[in-house]
Amino acid sequence: MSTVLTEAPVAKPQKKPAFVLKGVMQAPVTPLHDDFSVDYEGLAKMVNFHVVNGAPAIAWPHHKAESPNLTMEERKKGAEVLIKTVARRVPVSIFVGSLSEEDSLDLARHAQKAGADMLLTISPYCRRPTQEEIFHSIVRIGTHTDLPVLTYNSPWRNGEGVEFTSELVQRLIERLPNYIGMKDASFHSEKFMEISRVALRMRPGFSIIMGLEHLLASYPLGACGSFSSCGAIAPNLCNRFFAALEAHDWETARQCQYKITKLYRLFKDQYPSSLKGAMISMGRNAGPIRPPLPTASKERVEFLCRQLEELDVINTEPHGW
Amino acid sequence: MSTFKPGLVHTPVTPFKTDQSIDFGLYAKILEFHLKNGADSIAVPMQQAEDVSLTEVELRKVIEFAIRQVKGRVPVIAHVSDPGTGIAVERARFAEQAGASAIASHPPYFWHPRPAMVVEHLVQVGSATRLPFFICTPVVEDAGTHLTGEMVLEVVKRLDNIAGVVDSSMRFVFMAETVSNGREIRPDFQLLSGTDFMVPNAAVGGTGVFSPLSSVAPKLARQIYELCRKQQLVQARKMQEDMAELHHMIKKGGRAGLKTAMRAMGRECGEPRLPALSLGEPAMSQLAARVAACSYLSAEPRGW
Repeated sequence: MSTVLTEAPVAKPQKKPAFVLKGVMQAPVTPLHDDFSVDYEGLAKMVNFHVVNGAPAIAWPHHKAESPNLTMEERKKGAEVLIKTVARRVPVSIFVGSLSEEDSLDLARHAQKAGADMLLTISPYCRRPTQEEIFHSIVRIGTHTDLPVLTYNSPWRNGEGVEFTSELVQRLIERLPNYIGMKDASFHSEKFMEISRVALRMRPGFSIIMGLEHLLASYPLGACGSFSSCGAIAPNLCNRFFAALEAHDWETARQCQYKITKLYRLFKDQYPSSLKGAMISMGRNAGPIRPPLPTASKERVEFLCRQLEELDVINTEPHGW
Repeated sequence: MSTFKPGLVHTPVTPFKTDQSIDFGLYAKILEFHLKNGADSIAVPMQQAEDVSLTEVELRKVIEFAIRQVKGRVPVIAHVSDPGTGIAVERARFAEQAGASAIASHPPYFWHPRPAMVVEHLVQVGSATRLPFFICTPVVEDAGTHLTGEMVLEVVKRLDNIAGVVDSSMRFVFMAETVSNGREIRPDFQLLSGTDFMVPNAAVGGTGVFSPLSSVAPKLARQIYELCRKQQLVQARKMQEDMAELHHMIKKGGRAGLKTAMRAMGRECGEPRLPALSLGEPAMSQLAARVAACSYLSAEPRGW
């Protein structure tokens, strides 16, 4: 596991980004037409919805946006739509993780040219890479771009052991001046602190952004925000949650976190199938899900609608676009 | 319904002589150290006390000895986990008769039982006595002992004397679901941290801690606990980072790591019982040197 750091190792001076990442940031789903083609107009509407409802940053296409099921061409076109729609109102992050590293490099080149503010990349998929292989993969992508780079830690998705340990984070900070943060989806106190205590000591502005909204446990220890799961359903709740965290109003934050955790449990089933299903009840139909994931059935949509009513979401959150 | 609030719970190690027998003379000294250094409650024998390496006779003797030594100065929580339901039930009854204040147990390890069987095991152990009952998540989760929020909820519905969950899983979602669902049924349902990562647990709603590192750094454990109790969670960050560093330092050496760190603090507790091995050299000296170099341990008690 970790090497204990008694003194912070020396990192190359950070290339400071022109923005600060903070709050419940939104990662839009990818709206699809009934024939499963990408609905780019819908994507623009989705992105605009998030921005006008308080998203402090926009990130696409995360797994929630079905990124593994999109072609390179669709990902590039989507990135262009996103950047144009956001129009510098908030920072934009483009996810470049893909099966082939050559594709990731291509997506990174494209994102920079298209005007993205930063990149998000992940440890190589589907091959159980060693720590050394993850290091070289991230360095290859990070040195291929001038943009600030975030990495995505998801041991749950990529297999136990395929993760960013404190030693790996330390090496990456030492090597990459444009390495500005981590999307952490370990959702685990010890794993989070392995990263946070090393990274924040070496690079004080390092942004640790939680996956989904499991933010309450890590916020007091230095997490700066999250990439939202339920912002397409309940943006008011997301914003209230972060405001409570900032005010150190832990009781309100707990009530928000408990409610968000309940919502996530609803959406977790074949994620993001149930999320898109629930969006229908909020007047924001983002279409079907590409196979092999199932599109939410009529019964599932009705069930989700009843649950949103019980959780008092329908009447307290915006309806329509 | 239970109102017993354990607070900051110290979890003493079990000392062994070179012939592998328990050194009860030294154990008395260890218990007195914890009482003198801020234990609100004492839990014996937890994982740090090598419970799985003790015989049935020894487990009962340790519980009985601790209760007699403590003499009611603080509550003593008896940890009775066992793969066999009947064995754990009988041990819980013994602990109640011996004067324990509460019972703690995790799911049965080794068997990989179905969820309903885990629930039944915990209900039987919990209902063996009228004492407050705490479910512990196991330190090793993949040894047949995995505990889900749904299982906890089932136990909460069935046990009147359920007091709460002691979480060592450190999983954010489990902690949040367990405490929020549990409190919907029982408003006084408690979440406690089973590790020294107190701040994340307290943020989610935790109100206490079973502190393995209280053997090494009882003052630091108390400071973090008090800040958590006052909900000064951001202010606790630096101390929590220090405690995390100490945890990582010691973790590599397992049971021997903890006892080596205690030795470095002037509290010789011998070696762990076999099959756990001594750290050996040079690892032992290296760990001792690292502990000695931690400035945040300078205020901690040395010796007994």
